[in-house]
Amino acid sequence: MIALLFSGILLSILFPLLNRHRARLSYLLLLVYPLLVSLYLIRRVNMDNPIAASLPWVPSLEISLSFRLDGLSLIFSLLISAIGFLILVYAGEYLRGYPLTGRFFSFLTLFMTSMLGLVWADNLITLFVFWELTSITSYLLIGYDHEDQQARKAALQALLITAGGGLALLAGLVLMGQAAGTFEISQINQKGQLIRESNLYPLILLAIFAGAFTKSAQFPFHFWLPGAMAAPTPVSAYLHSATMVKAGIYLLARLYPALAGTEAWQYTLLGVGLITFLAGSLLALPQTDLKKILAYSTVAALGLLVMLLGIGSGLAVKTAVVYLFAHSLYKGGLFLVAGGVDHAVHTRQVDQLGGLGKAMPLTAFGAALCGLSAIGFIPTLGFVAKELVYELILAFPQGALLTALAVLAFTALTAVSGWVFALPFWQKNRQKPLQAHENSSPLWGPPALLGMAGILLAVFIPQTGSSLIGPAVESILSSPQPVTLKLWHGLTPMFVLSLFTILAGALVYTVRIPFQRAIGGLHARLSAIGPQRLFDLGLEGLKKFAVLQTRILQNGYLRIYLITIILTTVALTGINILKSPGGLDLPAWQPPRFYDVVLAGVVLAAVLAVVSASSRLATVAILGLIGFTIALIYLLFGAPDLAMVQFAIETLAVILFILVIYRLPKFARITSRPARMLDILVALSGGALVTLLVLWITSRPFTSHLTPYFVENSLPLAKGRNVVNVILVDFRALDTLGEISVLAIAAIGVFALVELNLDKSLFPSQRALINKVRSMILPTAVRYLMPLLLIFSVFLLLRGHNEVGGGFVGGLVAASALMLYAIAVSPQALLRLLPASPRHLIGLGLLVALASGALGIFQGLPYMTGLWLSDPLPVFGKIGSPVLFDVGVFIAVIGVSLHILIALAEDGES
Amino acid sequence: MTLTDLMTILPLAVLVAWTTALLLVDLWIPKDRKGITALLAAFGLALTLGLSLARGQQPRQAFGGMVVVDGFAVFLDVIFLASGLASIALAHDYLKRMNIVRGEYYSLLLYAISGMMLMTYAYDLIIVFLALELLSIPLYILSGFVRLNLRSEEAALKYFLLGTFSSGLVLYGIALIFAATARTDLPGILAAVELAPANLTMFLVGGALLLVGFSFKGAIVPFHEWAPDVYQGAPSSVTAFMSVGAKAAGFAALMRVFVVAFPSLSTDLTPVLWGLAAVTMVFGNIVALAQTNLKRLLAYSSIAQSGYLMMAFVPYGQGIVLSDTIAAMLFFLVGYALTTLGAWAVVIAVEKAEGRGLELQDYAGLGRKYPLLGAAMTVFMLSFIGAPPTLGFWGKFYLFRTAVEGGFTSLALLGLVASIFSAYYYLRVVVMMFMRPGEPEARRDPWLVLTAGVSALAVVGFSLVPGSLLNLALQAVLKLL
Repeated sequence: MIALLFSGILLSILFPLLNRHRARLSYLLLLVYPLLVSLYLIRRVNMDNPIAASLPWVPSLEISLSFRLDGLSLIFSLLISAIGFLILVYAGEYLRGYPLTGRFFSFLTLFMTSMLGLVWADNLITLFVFWELTSITSYLLIGYDHEDQQARKAALQALLITAGGGLALLAGLVLMGQAAGTFEISQINQKGQLIRESNLYPLILLAIFAGAFTKSAQFPFHFWLPGAMAAPTPVSAYLHSATMVKAGIYLLARLYPALAGTEAWQYTLLGVGLITFLAGSLLALPQTDLKKILAYSTVAALGLLVMLLGIGSGLAVKTAVVYLFAHSLYKGGLFLVAGGVDHAVHTRQVDQLGGLGKAMPLTAFGAALCGLSAIGFIPTLGFVAKELVYELILAFPQGALLTALAVLAFTALTAVSGWVFALPFWQKNRQKPLQAHENSSPLWGPPALLGMAGILLAVFIPQTGSSLIGPAVESILSSPQPVTLKLWHGLTPMFVLSLFTILAGALVYTVRIPFQRAIGGLHARLSAIGPQRLFDLGLEGLKKFAVLQTRILQNGYLRIYLITIILTTVALTGINILKSPGGLDLPAWQPPRFYDVVLAGVVLAAVLAVVSASSRLATVAILGLIGFTIALIYLLFGAPDLAMVQFAIETLAVILFILVIYRLPKFARITSRPARMLDILVALSGGALVTLLVLWITSRPFTSHLTPYFVENSLPLAKGRNVVNVILVDFRALDTLGEISVLAIAAIGVFALVELNLDKSLFPSQRALINKVRSMILPTAVRYLMPLLLIFSVFLLLRGHNEVGGGFVGGLVAASALMLYAIAVSPQALLRLLPASPRHLIGLGLLVALASGALGIFQGLPYMTGLWLSDPLPVFGKIGSPVLFDVGVFIAVIGVSLHILIALAEDGES
Repeated sequence: MTLTDLMTILPLAVLVAWTTALLLVDLWIPKDRKGITALLAAFGLALTLGLSLARGQQPRQAFGGMVVVDGFAVFLDVIFLASGLASIALAHDYLKRMNIVRGEYYSLLLYAISGMMLMTYAYDLIIVFLALELLSIPLYILSGFVRLNLRSEEAALKYFLLGTFSSGLVLYGIALIFAATARTDLPGILAAVELAPANLTMFLVGGALLLVGFSFKGAIVPFHEWAPDVYQGAPSSVTAFMSVGAKAAGFAALMRVFVVAFPSLSTDLTPVLWGLAAVTMVFGNIVALAQTNLKRLLAYSSIAQSGYLMMAFVPYGQGIVLSDTIAAMLFFLVGYALTTLGAWAVVIAVEKAEGRGLELQDYAGLGRKYPLLGAAMTVFMLSFIGAPPTLGFWGKFYLFRTAVEGGFTSLALLGLVASIFSAYYYLRVVVMMFMRPGEPEARRDPWLVLTAGVSALAVVGFSLVPGSLLNLALQAVLKLL
């Protein structure tokens, strides 16, 4: 069984290759495949036990490729393979001369294999995989390149509905596996009780119904099926009547033991099935395209099948199986007939057809055979099925209404079948006579064979019942069901009803045109509230909502994005704080010191000034002021190193900022007053949160186990008294190394961005700025100031290990000095002054830092272990590898700062 | 730092050293021969990939427990490195066409990957932050790589401003957690919370702030707003990398930090995680319906995919489901990475200079004229929907199953309904390619075709035998715990 599936998939993959070289041979090979499968299946008829086969697939998810062939699978797979064979024969002729037929046959074979896999699968996930494969291949078969907008829309719709249903089905299957504890269908079907009592049952049912209804075109999803009629006719015959659309029915039948028997099952299926049955048969009436007629009558048949499964008695299930069998045979045949007519006279419009019987006798013969089954004429399988339906409905408790509805629907179906199988051939053509000739045998043969099969199976109905229908019913109900079927029951009420239906249908048949006009008008009015319209409206509505949302939230304004993030964060943390049982234990109020008040006041005033300033230069300057004030706060709380770095960084940042900002225009007020009010509120809420958090953190008595360690070990282990610096260059030297590397990347990044493909003429020259500040005093002063600053920076670097200072601060001071020089004199002069380009300085700094750490390795010590010379040198003091490391930091910081400066300054230069 | 430390993080160390060397070497490579830089960068990544794979999955700590290299890290590293290789393949021709050839592109890319790798190793909040910055800064620059293109500049600036803002929140979170537990190493935090000298509210608020920061990187609604703008503005080859790498890194941080250090927060955070997952799935999918620009469409799609990932993460605190949660997310990320990179390869093949060739109409007739590209794109769209036979199906299936197992059936159903909407916009691309007549022009760059082809084959091929990949994900998890 598995081998058959694999060879089918393999064949479909290899076929296009083979077809290119040996077209004839490969086509024959293709025909052999469904024959082989049919033979395999025919030999399994009347088997005693189901055949099972299994391969492990995803053991960790308890999913296996398991298959099981029982009565139900057998009847479906027989239909799939036998009709598949006929379709292949038919399509070989029908599509002669079309482009890309190789691909078409390959997809058709893949579809056939997927259908077989679907009905053989004994694992929910395996089933789902094949289920989706049928959807995908069906899309591939529906065709390419539709010039017609309507056809495109319909194809997308069909795809959407089945894909959506597929996803819903997946949910149902996952939930079902969860409820049953296994994905094996045969095991699940033994645990029906468990599943029906599970509280997941309603959800499971809903999801699986969604999957089955979409696939089997049940109301309100039925409209995709007529829409999909743009497909080539062999595809419609195969997919849209005989096989794929029956997959939903198959699923319901397959899971019947696990899911059926509840009121929810019964009423839903009965209701939906009945509506679909009626809607399909009545909607078929106003159609004039042969294929559309057939599509709607297929919808009706599918509705009837769902309804029968909903009723769910032994008789109902038996009826369903017989009807399904009969329908697949005759409806497939009728589609092929419609295709044959289309092929011969290039129209499918009922209004233009007629009088083809003489020219195309063989097609007409096949059409008649199928048609008899379709209208339920004795002796056909369709007749048996219709008798059974009436028998079931008459026995129903409130049968009168149902009977009336069924008669109505069947009458309509009879009439429309007549329009397909009889009208084109035997009605006098009202318009100009059609030029027609008989098709070749591959086109008229398959429908005739299908029609004959319908008659043969009916003639030998007892055998059909016991060897095909019986086992299928048995596996649906999972209890032994002796099935005895007879062709002729005598003059029963069922027979009378059946006869009446045919006569009434014949009446409608003859008064087609006025009838069609009347119903067509009604239909047009109803379609304003039909499901198709609702579907379109829903989709439009969703799209409008999406657009609206984009305009409100995703409008491109950074402001909105920030507000969203801030508010969400405030809400998220605020709720958690409010929820906490203890609440906030904030520190007790202490009267602020004088300096605190002054500094806080300066910061606050500066913030207000920044927000309201309209000049960028002023903003930057005030920001610098804030930075300096914060440095003062550090100083006040006894962190001179931190303060120093902050001072240096602020200076540098202001210089860089000015270089960048110089070319930008003034701030524009683009927000309205209410918007600004909102901004203020959001800012206040964010600020309040952060203030609260800071207060909260500081209120906690905190004992670090790190601080004492560093303080105690700084001098003995690292020979330094400045703990901050020792941490940077010794204890956590590796982190520092990482940080200067990141700095280097940032500098190179800035450089790359600024230098990239710059159309230099677009920007005002940077030189303008530099020229502006050129006065006599500055360059002169700088000439003396710079060396002093540089010496000071080296001084900072060297004393750093023991006193306030260090490579980082030193580097920043040196960089500021050099920048000052660049501004006062010129960037070029600075470059000439430097021994190496900034980028090389970065590299050198990183190398020195890296190498200093490596010294330890030669002594067999870990990387970055500090090594010290035993005696202090005269000027430098104690020298060791951490000092060297600090030198690396020093150089790298200079390199980074200058690299950015040069990039910005040169930007407008050349 | 000892030699053992270095050997433990050898792949990362090699990559960083290689990248730095590349940065220097690139100075001497003439502008019209930057293909050499690309090749060297690819070689560096391949070397690192080899070293990572050769390391084995035995977990090892280094640098005093600051980093840990285990199966979890290696699994994700392979994703990062392979995505890096793919995005070099995507960039080579693209940069030339867009006239933005710069050697730094490759160095920055490699630095970003180093940051992502470091993120997977991180076993201490300080390292988490360091990694976050190391991976973010190069990405900020790369998003603005099309200089003088306003969209690109705007993208870079937005990404940078919002990114630093969210990094600030992460830093705040770390500070709060440190204040609450006096620790920054993940096991230490766990121990401190269990031994209960910690301030639990402060701890919770800290955790929430970290969640915000990581959600930003992973583009979780409502911290996603940068994503569509940045995805659209950044050069497509960068976007492709970012939508895989940055997202996976965000989720890597989320998984590592929350699973190791914050299991106790699970109960308090469940409603929050639930809400984030739900909003992300619904929102991402619905808004994507309105998109006609492929880059924006893929941006929203990637937001929606984050939602699915988040959904499986909700039950992370339940001991029984935990290993499934992590395995499902890792496994999904593989499929997501392959699908995303492949889809971007197609987008890049169709894209023209100055942001043309990105509208849905530009794909009309693509399937007819370039059957291979069309078929590959169809595979990717199906994989995004989660339809078999693609890896996306198994990934989504596993995520949903995990959510259901964790008891979040309604969330799973919500996600499913949302993904039904997604079918519309993904299939629209397919319909456009195959059913609308048109005369599209696509590049026949061999590297693009190779990336798209290999991804498509892998997406389909792995879906036929998902078992082995899944086992790898499961093993990666076992080593984490």
